[in-house]
Amino acid sequence: MQVSMTVNGRTRTADVEARTLLVHYLREQLNLTGTHVGCETSYCGACTVLVDGKATKSCTVLAVQAEGADVTTVEGLANGELHPVQEGFWERHGLQCGFCTPGMIMSAVALLNENDNPSEDEIRHGIEGNLCRCTGYHNIVRSIEYAAATMRGEDPPASQWKDES
Amino acid sequence: MATDIAEFIAPTDLSHALDILAQGRHTILAGGTDFYPARVGRPLTEPVIDITGIDGLRGINRVEGFHRIGTLTTWSDLITTELPPGFDGLKMAAGQIGGIQIQNVGTIGGNLCNASPAADGIPPLLALDASVELASPAGTRVVALEEFLTGYRSTSRQPGELLTAVLVPEEFDDATSSFWKLGSRAYLVISVAMVAATIVCDADGTIETARVAIGACSPVAKRLHALEADLAGRHGDAADAVTVEHLADLSPIDDIRAGVDERRNAALHLVRRTVASCLS
Repeated sequence: MQVSMTVNGRTRTADVEARTLLVHYLREQLNLTGTHVGCETSYCGACTVLVDGKATKSCTVLAVQAEGADVTTVEGLANGELHPVQEGFWERHGLQCGFCTPGMIMSAVALLNENDNPSEDEIRHGIEGNLCRCTGYHNIVRSIEYAAATMRGEDPPASQWKDES
Repeated sequence: MATDIAEFIAPTDLSHALDILAQGRHTILAGGTDFYPARVGRPLTEPVIDITGIDGLRGINRVEGFHRIGTLTTWSDLITTELPPGFDGLKMAAGQIGGIQIQNVGTIGGNLCNASPAADGIPPLLALDASVELASPAGTRVVALEEFLTGYRSTSRQPGELLTAVLVPEEFDDATSSFWKLGSRAYLVISVAMVAATIVCDADGTIETARVAIGACSPVAKRLHALEADLAGRHGDAADAVTVEHLADLSPIDDIRAGVDERRNAALHLVRRTVASCLS
């Protein structure tokens, strides 16, 4: 079947099998391998992308169901320089093994698009659908706080680690 | 051997969809949150009808004494729609289904048709006396939710029918309502047990009408009719009236999430907590 959607601002049209999941279309046909496949059962959130601005698990959606949609993957965030959420993960050590990171970042972007000044509870709620198998949630929350402050044009909260301030 | 979905149709028009469904062959696909996860490792070969492009099946409006919730209304839609206090319990459940990504695409109609014993959307709708609207080329019929759910993952929907809307009577608009769920974690968790209650009090705080429903403790979520009758006439301490006898009809199972005794115990405390939170 032919499917056409906007991916990271570009119109992409391709023939896919109807059974193809959106995540497999992105990774294998568009070579956008930033979106990860973790559990394949709509659980872990590693495959999170934005579909029409909403955080969506791309292993939940058939590619043909995204016909006409506007899809953003982690590759679509940086614009010459890192997106503030990517910068936050860099500055506040928001990753250990990195497997959950693309999904965490996309959930954080969706959260900050709706709420530019989330509390810690709201951040944890915002990433409720994403699992980190390294259990690195603490620094992920700090990373998102960093991004939120940056996006509001404020100085990010001081790092809790001595060697960075 | 077939390796792909035999036929994928995405109609935009309800009558077209009903004509296709009348063939009785197609699996109905909406949000998809239970579609692929239930088929991992197996070939996807069945014919599929994707109903998400059909106009008019999403959103909530008032029709002749009812709130009509379109079948494609997502949990996120429910959370962000301004609704009377009687819907608070349903909103609390909506916010605990899967995670945000699931709430963004998972639909109320899909939750009911999938008919999992652990479907978090079902107890709050039972506690609101909800009914469902089923459409076919022959016309539309309305069935009480309690009768629609016939067993473990089974409903009275006929193969050619489409659940088009959930109807909630306006009589509970000013009720207080609540939902409590127990799982092994706060998020992304299948319920060990969950309880919803809708309570209407008079001006003195005396309970006039109570609706209490519990899920994940029987093949189909159940209304606790005997408890509801015993709550009527009581006041702020009504949660004390909840006893194990009120839960006698439940048949909880032993599984990886909890044992029978733990489920029974959890059920009792969740019912008390849910009733109390309606009255606080």
